Amino acid sequence: MNLNFSEEQVMLKETIQKFCDNDYDFYKREEVIKSENDFDLNTWNLFAEQGWLSMPFSEDSGGFGMGPIELSILFEEFGKALVIEPYLSTVVLSGTLIDNSSYEHKKDIIERICSGSLHISLAYAEAKNSYNYNLPSTSLSSDLLLNGTKNLVLNGGNANKLVVSCIHNEELTLVIVNADKDGISMNTFPTVDGQSCAEITFENVSINSEDVIGTGDNAITLLNNSISLATLCVSAEAVGCMSSCYLKTVAYTKEREQFGQPISNFQVLQHRMVDMFIESELCRSLLIKAMLEVDSGSDDMHKHVSGLKAQIGKSGKFSAQQAVQLHGGMGVSDELMIGHYLKKLIVIDALFGNTDHHLKKYAQ
Amino acid sequence: MELNFSKEDLQFRDEVRSWLENDYPKHVKAKQDNAEPLTRQDMVDYHKAVSAKGWMGYNWPVEYGGTGWTATQLYIFNKEFGLAGTPPLLAFGVSMVAPVIYTFGNEEQKAKYLPDILEFNTWWCQGYSEPGSGSDLASLKTKAVKTFDGKHYIINGAKTWTTLAQNADWIFCLTRTETTSIKQEGISFILIDMKTPGIEVKPIITIDGEHEVNSVFFTDVKVPVENLIGEEGKGWTYAKFLLAHERFGIASVGGSLRALNKLKEIASNLENTDLDKKITELEIDLNALEITELRMLSDLENGGQVGAESSILKIKGTEIQQRLTELMVESSGEHALLYPGPHGFGSNDKPSGPDYSADAVSKFLNMRKTSIYGGSNEIQKNIISKFVLGV
Repeated sequence: MNLNFSEEQVMLKETIQKFCDNDYDFYKREEVIKSENDFDLNTWNLFAEQGWLSMPFSEDSGGFGMGPIELSILFEEFGKALVIEPYLSTVVLSGTLIDNSSYEHKKDIIERICSGSLHISLAYAEAKNSYNYNLPSTSLSSDLLLNGTKNLVLNGGNANKLVVSCIHNEELTLVIVNADKDGISMNTFPTVDGQSCAEITFENVSINSEDVIGTGDNAITLLNNSISLATLCVSAEAVGCMSSCYLKTVAYTKEREQFGQPISNFQVLQHRMVDMFIESELCRSLLIKAMLEVDSGSDDMHKHVSGLKAQIGKSGKFSAQQAVQLHGGMGVSDELMIGHYLKKLIVIDALFGNTDHHLKKYAQ
Repeated sequence: MELNFSKEDLQFRDEVRSWLENDYPKHVKAKQDNAEPLTRQDMVDYHKAVSAKGWMGYNWPVEYGGTGWTATQLYIFNKEFGLAGTPPLLAFGVSMVAPVIYTFGNEEQKAKYLPDILEFNTWWCQGYSEPGSGSDLASLKTKAVKTFDGKHYIINGAKTWTTLAQNADWIFCLTRTETTSIKQEGISFILIDMKTPGIEVKPIITIDGEHEVNSVFFTDVKVPVENLIGEEGKGWTYAKFLLAHERFGIASVGGSLRALNKLKEIASNLENTDLDKKITELEIDLNALEITELRMLSDLENGGQVGAESSILKIKGTEIQQRLTELMVESSGEHALLYPGPHGFGSNDKPSGPDYSADAVSKFLNMRKTSIYGGSNEIQKNIISKFVLGV
C-alpha cells in the first residue's frame, strides 16, 4: 500500500500549481467572463504548449497516455484557481470518448485537440430524461438524418465539432458532426460558474456513415466511461474548491477582528472550520479510491464514482456555504473568490447526476 | 499509487481470520453473537486465548514480548476482530498503561507488571476523570501526599467513569503531588492495587441499564512510592503519550462494517426507501473513513508521520458507530418502544416482533458514550483546530 503520488505525478502537480498560483489571475478571469469570450485563448494555447491538452490520450493517438490520477491532479488545481477554460468538454468528455472509439479519423481529431486548434463538445443531455443519458429522444433515421434537441452542451457555442448521442435502429448511437453543418441551430447560455453551454437543435442533419462512431453496447460503454471520467474530474475539481474554502476561511478569520480580537478565537467558528476540513479530507479519500478504481478499470468503478459524487454534492455545498457564512458580508461579495467557489460547487453537484441520483446509483 | 495490501499483509490477514474461525473461544462467541452478557471469566478466557496466540502485545515492541507489528498489521488485526464481532480487547492494561511502563518505568516495574499484562493475569482500569475534571482533565484534584518517611503516598480523592473497575485488580491514576501555578505540572502517574484498604468502588448505572462504569473513592489509601512511574510531576507528559497510543483502531472500521452488513440485510426485507437511502449515505461515510485511515497508514508505512489529523478517525468513527445504532432503531419501527434491558429479553416470554429489535435501543443508548469518551469529539475538534488548521 502506497498512496503517495509518483515523482512524475508530484512534478506535474507542482507545474500546474505554479501556473495557477502565478499566472491564473482571478480578476483577469472575471474580465474574460464579462467579455464576449467564454475563455482566454492565450491560456488555452498555453495548456497546449504545456502538453496538458494531450494528457489522457493514448500514445498511439499522439497523447501522453496518462490516466485518471493525473487528470484528478490537474482538476484539483483547476478547482483551487477556478479555471474556466473548457478542458472538461473538449479533452475529457469528447476527446477521451473519441480516443476510446474505433473512429477512423480519431488520430487527426486528437492531434488537433492536443494542439489546441479544435474544440469539440459532447451533446449528451436532453430536457427530458434528466441524468438518464442512455435513452435520448434525439434520433438518427435509417437514412442517417439526425433530429432532436440537446441541451446543456458544455462549451457548445465554441465547438467546431459535436459528438451527439441519439437512438438509431433502437440502439444508443454516437455520431460526430461539424457544428456548422446545415440544419444545426443553437442558442448559448451562461452557466452559474462563468462558463457557457448551448442548446442545440438538429433538423434533418445528414450524417456520414463513417461518422457513426459507436452503436449499441459499444456506444453505452463509450458514453458511460466518458461521463464517469468527467464525473471523477469535476469531483477532483470540487476537492480543490473545498480545500481552498477551508484554507481561505482559516486565513480570513485570523485576520478579521471583531470585539477586539481575531474572530478565529471563537470556538464556534473553529469547530465549523474543522468540519469543513474533515469534509474535504473525507472527499479526498473517496476521490483516491474512485480514481484508483477507474484507473484499473474495475467492475466497481462506476459505483465508486457514484459514491464519490454523492458525497461531493453534499460536502461541497456544505463547505462553500460555511465559507460564505464565516466571511460574513464579504462572503457574498462578487469581488472575493469565496462566493465563486459556492457557485462552482453548485454547478458540480448538478452536473452528471446530483447527490440523490448517485445515492440511488450507488445502491443498485 | 497502490491501495492494496502486500502479499505478506494478506497472509497475515488470513492468519488472523483463521484464528478467529478456529480459536476464538466458542462460548464467548456464542454469547457475543446472541447479545448475552459476558461474565468476568468470559472476558478473561477471551483475553487469555489471544495471549496464548502471542497477540496480546499487539502494539508493543518485540523486546517486551510484543508482536512488533507494523501499523498496517495492527490495522488488519483490529479490522478482522471487529468484522468477527469479538468484544473489544480491553485497552487499559495492554495499550494504555503498558506503553507508559515500558517507556518511562524502571526495570523493576517493567519486570513486575508487564508479564502479567501480557498474560492477562491482571485486569487494569483507568483513573483519569474526576467529578470536577472531565475534558479539563489537568484540573484534577485527587491528592497524593508523601509520608514523612518518604516510603508511601497517601491518596485521597475520587475518580469517576471508571470502566469495569468492579473487575479490576489494578488502577493507574493521575494524582496531584504538588499544587502548582500551571495545573499540568504537579501531576504524577501512580499505580494502585485495587485491594488496598480505603478504596471503594460504587457502580454508575448508565441509561442502557448497564453497569459498565463506576465511581472510585480513595480515603487515606497508602501506596508504596515504588508505584510511581517515571518522575514525580511528569504525569501529564505520560498521560499525553498514552493518548497518542490510543488513537489507532479508534475508527472501529471492522465493527462498523459488521453492523452495516447486518443493517443492510435487515433493510433488504423492509422495502423502506427512506431507510435505504440513509444506509447508503452511511455506507459511503464508512467507506470514506476507511480510506482516510488507510491514507494515514500509508503515510506511516512510507516514512511519514501522522499527527492531529487522526482526530478525524475518532470524530467520524464514533459518529458512524452512533448512526448505525440509530438506523437499527429506525428499522425496528414501533417494536423499538419495548425495553428489555441491556441484554435482550432472554429466552423466555419473548414479545413478538423482529429479533434484531430486542437490543437495538440498548445499543443505541450505550453508544452515546463514544462521542464523549477518549477526549470528547469537541476536544478532538479543538485539537484539529490548533494543530492542523493552526488557529
